[in-house]
Amino acid sequence: MKAARIGLYAFLLGAALFFSIPLLIVVMTSLKPMTEIRTGSIFALPLAPNFDAWVKAWMSACTGLACEGIRVGFWNSFRILVPSVALSVMAGALNGYALAQWKPPGANALLTALMLGAFIPYQVILYPMVKILSNIGLYNSLPGIIAVHIIFGLPVMTLIFRNFYAGLPDELLKAARVDGAGFWRIFFEIMLPLSINILIVAVILQVTGIWNDYLLGLIFAGRDNAPMTVQLNLIVNTSMGEQEHNVNMAATLLTALPPLLVYFASGRYFVRGITAGAVKG
Amino acid sequence: MSAVQVRGLRKSYGPLDVLRNIDLEVREGEFTVLLGPSGCGKSTLLSAIAGLDPVNAGRIEIGGVDVTDLDPSARGIAMVFQSYALYPTMTVRNNMTFGLRVKRLPKAEIDKRLTWAADMLQLTALLDRKPAQLSGGQRQRVAIGRALVQQSRVFLFDEPLSNLDAKLRAEMRVEIKRLHRELAPTVVYVTHDQIEAMTLATRIAVMRGGQIEQYATPDELYERPQTLFVAGFVGSPAMNFLPVVLRRNGGAVAAELGPVTIPLDAYAFATPPADGTQAIFGIRPEHAALSGAGVQVATETLFMEPMGADTLGWFQLGTEKLSARLAPQTARGISGPQRLALDIANASIFARDTEQRL
Amino acid sequence: MRISGLAARLVLSPTVLVTVVCFYGCAVWTAYISFTKSSFIPNYTFNGLAQYERLFATPRWGVAYTNMFIFGVLLVVGALAVGLLLAIMIDRNVRGEGFFRTVMLYPLSMSFIVTGLAWQWVLSPSIGVQHFVRDLGFPNFTFDWIAQQDRAIYTLVFAGVWHQAGLIMAIMLAGLRGVDRDIWRATKVEGIPTWRVYLGIVLPMLRPLVVTCVVLLSVAVVKSYDLVVAMTGGGPGFASDLPGKFVVDFSFERANIGQASAAAVVMLGSVFAALAPYFYVELRKRGQ
Repeated sequence: MKAARIGLYAFLLGAALFFSIPLLIVVMTSLKPMTEIRTGSIFALPLAPNFDAWVKAWMSACTGLACEGIRVGFWNSFRILVPSVALSVMAGALNGYALAQWKPPGANALLTALMLGAFIPYQVILYPMVKILSNIGLYNSLPGIIAVHIIFGLPVMTLIFRNFYAGLPDELLKAARVDGAGFWRIFFEIMLPLSINILIVAVILQVTGIWNDYLLGLIFAGRDNAPMTVQLNLIVNTSMGEQEHNVNMAATLLTALPPLLVYFASGRYFVRGITAGAVKG
Repeated sequence: MSAVQVRGLRKSYGPLDVLRNIDLEVREGEFTVLLGPSGCGKSTLLSAIAGLDPVNAGRIEIGGVDVTDLDPSARGIAMVFQSYALYPTMTVRNNMTFGLRVKRLPKAEIDKRLTWAADMLQLTALLDRKPAQLSGGQRQRVAIGRALVQQSRVFLFDEPLSNLDAKLRAEMRVEIKRLHRELAPTVVYVTHDQIEAMTLATRIAVMRGGQIEQYATPDELYERPQTLFVAGFVGSPAMNFLPVVLRRNGGAVAAELGPVTIPLDAYAFATPPADGTQAIFGIRPEHAALSGAGVQVATETLFMEPMGADTLGWFQLGTEKLSARLAPQTARGISGPQRLALDIANASIFARDTEQRL
Repeated sequence: MRISGLAARLVLSPTVLVTVVCFYGCAVWTAYISFTKSSFIPNYTFNGLAQYERLFATPRWGVAYTNMFIFGVLLVVGALAVGLLLAIMIDRNVRGEGFFRTVMLYPLSMSFIVTGLAWQWVLSPSIGVQHFVRDLGFPNFTFDWIAQQDRAIYTLVFAGVWHQAGLIMAIMLAGLRGVDRDIWRATKVEGIPTWRVYLGIVLPMLRPLVVTCVVLLSVAVVKSYDLVVAMTGGGPGFASDLPGKFVVDFSFERANIGQASAAAVVMLGSVFAALAPYFYVELRKRGQ
């Protein structure tokens, strides 16, 4: 029994190491100068940790010809993130409420269509979507990429909120209707205050999802609005001459940091969001 | 004048008819209970009166106004729900005043009504709590309070006591009865609990399969049930049903139960039945006694079921079992052959095919 | 009723429009294009299965499509095994459960781009594991799969398992926690060894969850794009290419919309094939 217990912890610690090593390596390397990286081991602790590489990554790392650092991508991601998250969560909440509480005719058909739609790979839709957005003048623009994030977020957001509102007793809506409240009043005064937890879950899911997106940003945002992930890949995978590993890893960390912070700040909600988003109803 | 008038109401979900041609009239100040087993359509009928579910056909009037096509809030009703449906994020105060605020009543009027209703239901100390901080009975009172402040002509209750435990239910029953006596509103109240129905109602509509079987006062319903279903559904312990064949001999009618013959001279038939009519002879346990007047039948004692105030004695009558409500003292030590006296005047006889009272 | 019901429909109408146009409309358009003569630009002349014949005759597609199965099978089996094992271990009342869960789940919050880059460095012959072991005094140690034509695809599996195992662990742990405690008590009373309980009783109870996980992972495999872009760029050559990357490259860089559409339709078919177990389970549930 005792030996089994020790084996159990040994296995778990080994697993913990497997999961943490990539992050540790990236953190340690980002704190070293290049000379130390060339001569030393990747697992060695930095001799004199400093943030020079971080500063360079932020201020002056090169993406192709421009050398303005990854901060450009950071602010692009930020400008994409805020309206996309706000609008897609609001749309999901309203859709879920309308579907689950008011049950209009065809609600189930729409729900099934959305669920199946969520499984269609982006690659199937990308090209025609580019055509549509070009035709209405939104291709390669900030509103364009925001619209795309809202559209692709619709299925999961709608499903999460529908499942939540379907779990509320029907009588709540009935009581409010007898009290004379209408669609919007019931939503804002009764349903929304009830939805704080599920709103947090949805916001976290969208914040991490949209921040981490690469493909949509690459195709729809255009060069001027390229999000941080796109810029990061440009910095690391297309740079000329000798690779500055410490700068690359610092840039990687800077890109990973916002969702990591969200994760560490909100563990429980994050897991709920990930499983809800994954299992999709 | 009738407060609620329902005419020819029909409602179906696909092929399933939930309400078939319902007519119901509730007079001003009357307490009408819709009683029936689950699935009989009573809650659907209430929802239809409230305007929460559209109906397929028929007409609903409240206070003489046709409200069939009106929104729930425009019908002048207030409603109390089974799960109470309190708004979880609002305080008791805001729960009770939400509807008034939606209707943009003046603040002074809202406060006046709130104070009055809170006082009436002893909710004053709870006004700033959230529903989650209340006990089941308190939530129930808030739900009633939320209806009271509307000062509506008509109150609708959808199984309001079914989520409470037995003791609390008895207390709230008294509370609702008190409110009805003091405020005299028109009430339509849905329940499947016949005790609730008997104690609260001025009239009860017993429903089955989307139809009203009988609509009458509690006494009438109990003493002269119009259908076999009503007779069986109302009353506890249940009425005895014995399959009999009716025999006419001149003006006298008798019921034949195998070798046993029960003369029915004391029974008031609506129309004299034909000879050989297949019928069900129903008699409540309190109308079968060990002594006294009535038709005497020979039985064999089976067993006793003590129920506290009474004991239910079971006896073999021919091929059938018959129960009699006995005083516990008399029931003790009874065994072997017994003669039971049946009070035929209070019996109920139904045709076996139509299940209607004869 | 009338006005409010109208509001609900009004609110839903943009979603209906988006669903019909952006999801289904676009998918149908792509499917149609895959049966036409399109090359640089869409051409609406019907051309039968020619695009598909050409697609499957293209070596790069052959590699990408085969890779999808290699990557898929290994990732599904790997992530499921690791995730399930971790869930069972954590469920054995270990101390520091919060710590272990946190460490195992954080990869999920990272993008595939970041994941791919981090693993690119870990596996890089010049700075990663190979470099480290050689420095320890094994100068002949070789671990350069990421640079090998026939091995690069396997390195994607490491990164994929690393990223996804936490999700499987979380789903499975929730399932394990949902097992009735009386079942455990009953097996204790009967003296059944713990491993037999997991194998014979608990795992069969979790079967619906396992199906869910397999479907989730399979769909993720078909859709995967960012990971391969960041980690290997599809290389060396196109040895670690995947259909997702093939379609994007052919849609935009190589501008062959006919081939891209045919490949995209094959992807769509693969997703629905991956969903089949789920539909099978659902149908059986309804049948019963």
